[in-house]
Amino acid sequence: MTRDPIPAQAVSTLECRSCGAGAPVDEHFCPQCSRILALGRHGDYFSFLGLPRRLVIDQAQLERRFRDLSRQFHPDYFYNAAPAERLASLERSSYLNDAYRALRNPITRIEHLLAIEGLPSAKSEDPSAGSAAAKVPPGLLEEVFELNEQLDEIRESREAGGDPAVLRERLESARKPIDLKREEHEREVEALSAQWDRQATAAAAEKRATLDALRERLLERNYINNLLASIDREAQSLEPKAESRG
Amino acid sequence: MGKVVGIDLGTTNSLVAYVRDGVPQVIRDASGDGLVPSVVSLGEDGTFFVGREAQRRLLTAPSRSVYSVKRFMGRGIDDVRDEVALLPFKVAGEAGGVVRIGLDDREFTPPEISAFVLRELRQRAEEHFREQGEFDFEVDRAVITVPAYFNDAQRTATRDAGRLAGLEVLRIVNEPTAASLAYGLDRRDRGIIAVYDLGGGTFDISILKVEDGVFQVLATNGDTHLGGDDIDRLLVELVLRELGGGSSRSGEDIQTIRKAVIAAKHDLTDGEETEIRVESLDYGRRITRGEFEQLIRPLVERTIQPVRQALADAGLEPSEVDEAVLVGGSTRVPLVRRIVSELFGRTPHSELNPDEVVALGAAVQADILISGRREMLLLDVTPLSLGIETMGGVVSKIILRNSTIPASGREMFTTGVDNQTAVDIHVLQGERELASDCRSLARFKLRGIPPMPAGLPRIEVRFQIDANGILSVAASELRTDIAQTIEVKPSYGLTDQEVERMLIESFEHAQADIDARLLIEARNEAETVINATEKTLRRPDFSEIASVDLQPGEPEKVQSALDALKLAMGSADRDAVRDLTHALNHATQHLAEVMMNRGVREALAGKNVKDV
Repeated sequence: MTRDPIPAQAVSTLECRSCGAGAPVDEHFCPQCSRILALGRHGDYFSFLGLPRRLVIDQAQLERRFRDLSRQFHPDYFYNAAPAERLASLERSSYLNDAYRALRNPITRIEHLLAIEGLPSAKSEDPSAGSAAAKVPPGLLEEVFELNEQLDEIRESREAGGDPAVLRERLESARKPIDLKREEHEREVEALSAQWDRQATAAAAEKRATLDALRERLLERNYINNLLASIDREAQSLEPKAESRG
Repeated sequence: MGKVVGIDLGTTNSLVAYVRDGVPQVIRDASGDGLVPSVVSLGEDGTFFVGREAQRRLLTAPSRSVYSVKRFMGRGIDDVRDEVALLPFKVAGEAGGVVRIGLDDREFTPPEISAFVLRELRQRAEEHFREQGEFDFEVDRAVITVPAYFNDAQRTATRDAGRLAGLEVLRIVNEPTAASLAYGLDRRDRGIIAVYDLGGGTFDISILKVEDGVFQVLATNGDTHLGGDDIDRLLVELVLRELGGGSSRSGEDIQTIRKAVIAAKHDLTDGEETEIRVESLDYGRRITRGEFEQLIRPLVERTIQPVRQALADAGLEPSEVDEAVLVGGSTRVPLVRRIVSELFGRTPHSELNPDEVVALGAAVQADILISGRREMLLLDVTPLSLGIETMGGVVSKIILRNSTIPASGREMFTTGVDNQTAVDIHVLQGERELASDCRSLARFKLRGIPPMPAGLPRIEVRFQIDANGILSVAASELRTDIAQTIEVKPSYGLTDQEVERMLIESFEHAQADIDARLLIEARNEAETVINATEKTLRRPDFSEIASVDLQPGEPEKVQSALDALKLAMGSADRDAVRDLTHALNHATQHLAEVMMNRGVREALAGKNVKDV
C-alpha cells in the first residue's frame, strides 16, 4: 500500500442543494434560502473561520469564532432537518473542528499555511517530505554528529554495565546543545511568522522566500524532535526497571 | 412522534430520565427507586426477569442470571478471558469472536442482554407517562450514555442494543460529559471542570472548558475495565482465600459472598469497621476501613495516570481546574474521594446524586436534540486515535485522540503494481505505534480501481467520526471520479442479523492480522502457568504433598508437561504454545485442586474455575 500526498484543493463557488442558488465559497448559509450549505471542496481554514491568513493570531478570537460557528453548524441542531442539511451540518462541523485544531497550534498553523500557499508538505510522516527529512539538515550537521557519537558511547558503556547515574549525567549534557538549538529554532519560527504577517502586500517573491524559510525550519524542527526522542529513549533504558504496570 | 428519554445504561444499575418543563428528572418506580439493576435472568419456564427481580435471582439461579454485561459490550472473548473465572454464568465465544453469554441452552450477545435492560427502562418510562395522563406515552427514541473511553466497537454495540430494544438512538453521549451538563444547569457559566467518573465497571476522566453555554471537552482518558466490580472481586477473593478449599465454589456460593462483601463495602463508606458475614458458609470476619483501603489502594491508584494524561493532553496543570465533579457509585468510597482531592488540590463536588447525574445529563441532551434549543451545546472528543495500517504494520494516525467530534480525516492512496484494481485497508483505533498493538476496527478491500500503471490512481479514503463517536469510511478514485462507499458500520438499513454478522466478521478479520499479538498473549498465559507450576514444585513440602495426595507418577507427568511447554516457548509456534499450555493446565489440574484443598489458594487460583 502506497500513500500519496493530499493535493491542494480546487476552490469554486457553491451551489445550494436546497434552492439551487449559487453562493461564494466562504459562505456557510445560502444567501437565498438561508439553509446550511454543503461544504464542497473547501481548503482554507483561515477563510472558513473568517480570519486573515496570518500566523500570529488572537487565541481568544479564534476560540470565539469556533464557538459561534459550532452553535450554527452542530448536528445537534439539525435533527429534524432534511437529510441534505443534516449531511451539510456534519460536514461543516467536522471541517470547523479540523480547522480549529489546526489553527490553534502555531506549528500546525504554519503547516496549513504552507499547504494552501502551494508548498510541499513539511510533515515528517509525509512520504513526500521523507527524503528531505531523512537527510540531516545542513544546519544541524555538527550537532547531529556530536550527539550520535555521544549516544553510541553511552550505549556501549551501558551495555558494559557502566554506572547509570554517571551515564544519565552524560546524557543530560549531550542533550543540552540540542535543547539550545530548539529554543533558537522556536525564536526563528516566531520571527519568520511575524515577518509573514507584515508581508501582506509584499511582492510574491518576498513572500515565497519567507515561506521557504518557514518550511526549512519545520523540517529541521522535525529532525530536532527526532533527536530529542532518541535521547529520551536512551534515558528510559537508563532508568531503573520500574515494576511493570498491570 | 413518541417521547424521548435519556438513559444511563450502567454496569451495575441503569436509569431513565426525561426533561419536564425544563427540569430533568429521573423516572422512579412506585417505591421511589430510580435504579434498575442491570441484571437479566432467564426463568426456568423461559421468561425473562430484569432489574430487582433478576438481582434476587442472582442468589437463587446464578447460572441463569447475567450481571455487569456492559463489561463485555463490543469485546471479544480474548479481551475478557481473565475476568470470567469468578462469573457464575457462562461466557464463551470463538477465539477472536464476540463474547457470547450462555443461559440455559441459549446463547446471547451482550447487546441482546443490554436490550432487555433497555426495554425494561422503556416500559418504566411509558408507564410513567401513561400515569401522568399523557395521550402520547410511547417512548421510541433515546439518548444513551457510554463511558467516554469506549471505543468504536463498544459504542456501536450500545447503539445496536438500543435498536434491539426498539429505540432509535438519537445520540450516544459520554457519561462524564452528560454529568457536566446536569451540573452545568445551575452552576457558574465558565471555567475548567474535571469530571472523575468511577462506576461499577469503568473509569473515565474528562476535562471540560465551559464558556457561553458551550461545554467543550478538552481531553478525556480512562480505563474501560476498572470500577466497583473490581473492588468487589478483590473482596470476594479475600473471602475465598480465607475460606480455603475454594477450588470448586458453586455459583450460588460466589453470589452469596459477593452480596456480603458489597454490603460490607457500603458499610465502610461511613463506618470505620464492619463485618463480612456469609451465614451459609459459616464465615465471618471484621474488616476495618484501613484494611479495606490497603486492599483496594492499588486499584484506585490506577486512576491517577489517566487523570494526569488527560490534564497533559488538555495542556493544563491540576491547579488550573476550577471544579472537580464526582460521578459514579464508586466515588462514594472515602479513599477515592481523598485521592481525587489530592489530585486536584480541592474538595470535589458531589451535590448531585452520583448514581443519577449521568441519566439527568442524558435527558438534558435529549431535550436539546428534540427542542433545537441552542443555549447549551456539548462538544465532545474522540477518546482514541484512529488510523490505518501502512507498510511494515505501522499505524498512520488519521484522527488524533481528543479531537473534537464530529471529526474527519482523509488519506490518499495509490497502487503499487501495474493494473492493480483493489487495495486493502485496515482501520485501527488506539495510541500505539504498531497495528498489532491497536484495536482492529475493520478491514476492507477497496475494489473497482480502474486498471492503470502503478502509482497513477489517486484513491482518497475519507474517515468520518460522527457526534456519537462512531466511524464511517468512504473512498473514491479521484482521476476517474469512481466513488466507492464503504460504510464500516452503517447506521441504518440493516437487520439485526446483519449487524451481528458484521460484528463477527470484523472480529474474524482482525484475527488474521494479529498473529503476532496472539503469540505474545499465548506466551504470557504460558508463562503464568509455568511460574505457578514451578512455584508449587519448588515448595519445601512438595514431596510430602506428592506422597500424600498425588497419584504415583503424577509429579513426573507434570514435570514432563512443564518441560515440553518450556521448550515450545522458544519457538514462534503459537498453536504449540497454546496446546502445551492446555496440556500443562490439564496435567496440573488435580495438583491445583489438591493445593487449593490444602487451603493454599495461590497463583493457580482461577485456573480450575476457568477450566470447569
